[in-house]
Amino acid sequence: MKTSARKKLNEILLSSPSMIWLILWFVIPTVIVFLMAFKPVDPWGGIGSGWTLQTIRELSNPNYPEIVVRTLALGVGSTLISILIALPLGYYLARVPKKLRDLLLLLIIIPFWTNFLIRIFAWKVLLHAEGPLARFLIYVGVLPQDATLLYNPWAVLAVMVYSYLPFAILPVYAAAEKFDFSLIEAAQDLGATRLQAFFRVFIPGISRGIWTATIVVLIPALGAYLIPDLVGGTASELIGDKIAQRTFIDRNLPHASALSALLMFVVMIPIFFVVFFTGSRKSITGTGHSRGVKQK
Amino acid sequence: MKEHYLTKRSFFPKFVTWTTIVFFYIPLLVVAVNSFNRSKGGGVWKGFTFQWYAQLFSDTRIWEALRNTLVIASFATVIATVLGTLCAFALHRYRSRLQKTHYMLVYLPLIVPDILRGISMLLLFVLLFAWINPILRRTVGIRINLGITTIIIAHITFCLSYVAMVVLGRLQDFDFSLYEAALDLGANKFQAFSKVVIPAIMPGILAGALLSFTLSLDDYVITFFVAGKGSLTLPIYIYGSMKHGNPAVINALSVILLIVTFITVYIAQKLLEDKK
Amino acid sequence: MKQLSLSLLVFLALLFSGCGGRPALYIYNWGDYVSPEVIRKFEKEYNCRVVLDFFDSNESMYAKLKAGGGGYDLIVPSTYMTDMMYDQKMLRELDRSRLPNLKYIDPDYLKKVRDSEMKYSVPYLVSFTGIGYNKNKVRNFEPSWRMFEREDIRGRCVLLNDPRQVIGAALITLGYDPNTRNEEEIGKAADLVIQWRRNIAKFDVDEAKRSLISGEFWLIQTYSGDMLQALDENENIEFAFPKEGCIFTADTFVIPADAVNVDLAYDFINFMHRPEIAAENMQFVKFRCPNTEALKMLPEKLKNKPSINPTKAQWDAAMPTLDLGADTRLYNAAWDRIKSGSAD
Repeated sequence: MKTSARKKLNEILLSSPSMIWLILWFVIPTVIVFLMAFKPVDPWGGIGSGWTLQTIRELSNPNYPEIVVRTLALGVGSTLISILIALPLGYYLARVPKKLRDLLLLLIIIPFWTNFLIRIFAWKVLLHAEGPLARFLIYVGVLPQDATLLYNPWAVLAVMVYSYLPFAILPVYAAAEKFDFSLIEAAQDLGATRLQAFFRVFIPGISRGIWTATIVVLIPALGAYLIPDLVGGTASELIGDKIAQRTFIDRNLPHASALSALLMFVVMIPIFFVVFFTGSRKSITGTGHSRGVKQK
Repeated sequence: MKEHYLTKRSFFPKFVTWTTIVFFYIPLLVVAVNSFNRSKGGGVWKGFTFQWYAQLFSDTRIWEALRNTLVIASFATVIATVLGTLCAFALHRYRSRLQKTHYMLVYLPLIVPDILRGISMLLLFVLLFAWINPILRRTVGIRINLGITTIIIAHITFCLSYVAMVVLGRLQDFDFSLYEAALDLGANKFQAFSKVVIPAIMPGILAGALLSFTLSLDDYVITFFVAGKGSLTLPIYIYGSMKHGNPAVINALSVILLIVTFITVYIAQKLLEDKK
Repeated sequence: MKQLSLSLLVFLALLFSGCGGRPALYIYNWGDYVSPEVIRKFEKEYNCRVVLDFFDSNESMYAKLKAGGGGYDLIVPSTYMTDMMYDQKMLRELDRSRLPNLKYIDPDYLKKVRDSEMKYSVPYLVSFTGIGYNKNKVRNFEPSWRMFEREDIRGRCVLLNDPRQVIGAALITLGYDPNTRNEEEIGKAADLVIQWRRNIAKFDVDEAKRSLISGEFWLIQTYSGDMLQALDENENIEFAFPKEGCIFTADTFVIPADAVNVDLAYDFINFMHRPEIAAENMQFVKFRCPNTEALKMLPEKLKNKPSINPTKAQWDAAMPTLDLGADTRLYNAAWDRIKSGSAD
């Protein structure tokens, strides 16, 4: 009895620093955000007294469904594309000799140590209407004379994929590296075609890595606000942009809070679907290979 | 070694890999070329120049921003690594309801978008200052503001989860019978821990620390929300320059940082090889 | 770990080495909006350190201050924001005796703004929001806001990313007051902007200027001084005052109530209105400083530019934006409708 009490005390001592820190600087702020959505706003951009449902009602703003759909479409789209590219890449990395693999991994990671804003601006230089790529494409006749490559949802999608792809590659590769490739051989010996073996054996075998990749791309993509701001056009606003606008232009913190709650809800939709359809609650906890990704 | 059917004939994965790598390096090439371009905005080639490099070294603001960024990243990394490692040990060592909650607490920040974390921290600081500043004014006559400290707190919070996850991954691979063996061989608990467990998971701790440092260096969104007077960081400076300053100087800075990175990586590789 | 803590110590040393010694003046200003050479002169003359932080809109600056990001000694908001901050007691009233150089301030300017006595603000620079365009690319240019409807420049023009400026331009085009509180008028203006929006590439403030220089964009809504700066890099760029009228923005020096180094702030304002300093600064930023003596000292080339010395008609047709208090939400709502893109 005494030892178990002591064990409990040890556990609490060991857990408390991080728990207290997270409660103080993560849980409390998050709760505040959601509570703030029920506070009235004063005309000076401060927070009024009392409580109101007004802000929640304002979420029925007729402009919002479109923004939510756009956010989801771009978020899910960039996640799917990233994973489609990461799969063959992770597969290839896992199969090549170690020396080449280390070199390739470095080559993949190093560009992302350059500040992401600089890389996005470089894309803008490259893609703009008088830039080298557009002029070339117009010259060979792929693009019409007055075409512009930037300032449309496709540009946002492309830059999102560019920004988040390495974070999809790493977990997929980490899972592929641990995968037992003799299973593929066995499947083929049993009469499976190459593609069948890939989809029926390899992909289920690395599902944990795919799940992690999904999370690390999807979350920042759904919360993105700088990318649409920089390469999007007149109708590229995402929820993140709206939150930033409410905070820094409209000075309406309650509304920004309500939108944040909406964003959290939107984040939960795809996660729910994945968990529901794969039925793998366990996979949620599969973060052994989770790598950091910052949002743009 | 037996050839696999898949790799033998499949050209596709190789093609995707190399295309992707080229795709990753295209913008860096643009940056490098434009750092020597006389044109400030870099849209068209206006002749070769070194002037942006010269300007870079005389720009005190950039170095000040770099210093702030390094100070923030160092503090955030050290504290987040300590907290995150303790957290991973607790998660690994105990199986209780408390640890389930603990795990949720550490995992949840990973699925909260940055902008939300930024705004929530900002709101907390707003309320905290509104409450504490009148008291401080009456008692000690000072007031606290947003600044480097608030940025460090925010960075520790998002780094902590990453460190905990990386270290936890390492702990799961560690064979704890080695620890028991050390105890059997007469080591006391502290010795067994510091001589056996810590060295074994050190790569995990270092990886977590490196990850924290990198994330902290590059963070724009959260920093932007919680930054205050005189707490300019490099990403914020870069954003400002790209928007309404001189992007050419930033290009020059990136080229230099990139070269430093390559040299560091090269030396690290060499050192590792020698060790083996 | 040992190495980490060691490097930490080094950084700590670095951190504190920067402070101490000379007093610091913390200024919160727009990016690229003061000559670094002038700052250097001030630092030398007053033996101090000037620390500049930047904002990119009045609103984000205000949001930061409200959120506890204060402590600056000097801020440079536009007039409507200045008035609003004053009404909220966020600003200090100025002691005129410490600002002898205010005698040079242009009286015509003071007639246009609310704080005509300079009780809480001193003008810094004045800009006009008009149209910047590339002479080589835009055929049959007309100085009119209606240019944004021209199909031959579709995808090559840009409006500012600022509700009051964009809706203001549309209001002026329709013959309304850019400070109207009439919901119907604002609605009509928003409809006009939505019509323009189909023709433009995006809403943007700073990058548009650079893209105009590189030839990516051909026609943009922009601030007068920015186009004079752009002229240095691309001689085909021209600035036009739209015939319907334009919005006039003045940025002002104010000392916030919680300023720490008030003396230096006064010195700085007074220094910036020393005619030769104001003239030097004008040659860098290329916006009009309403300082009559300084304007006389400018080189001919700059003096003849309408953005520096507008004609009487241009000056009279320029209207300032005013703080509308709670009614700002009308503009925000219209802006939501414009930005969401759902009217397509």
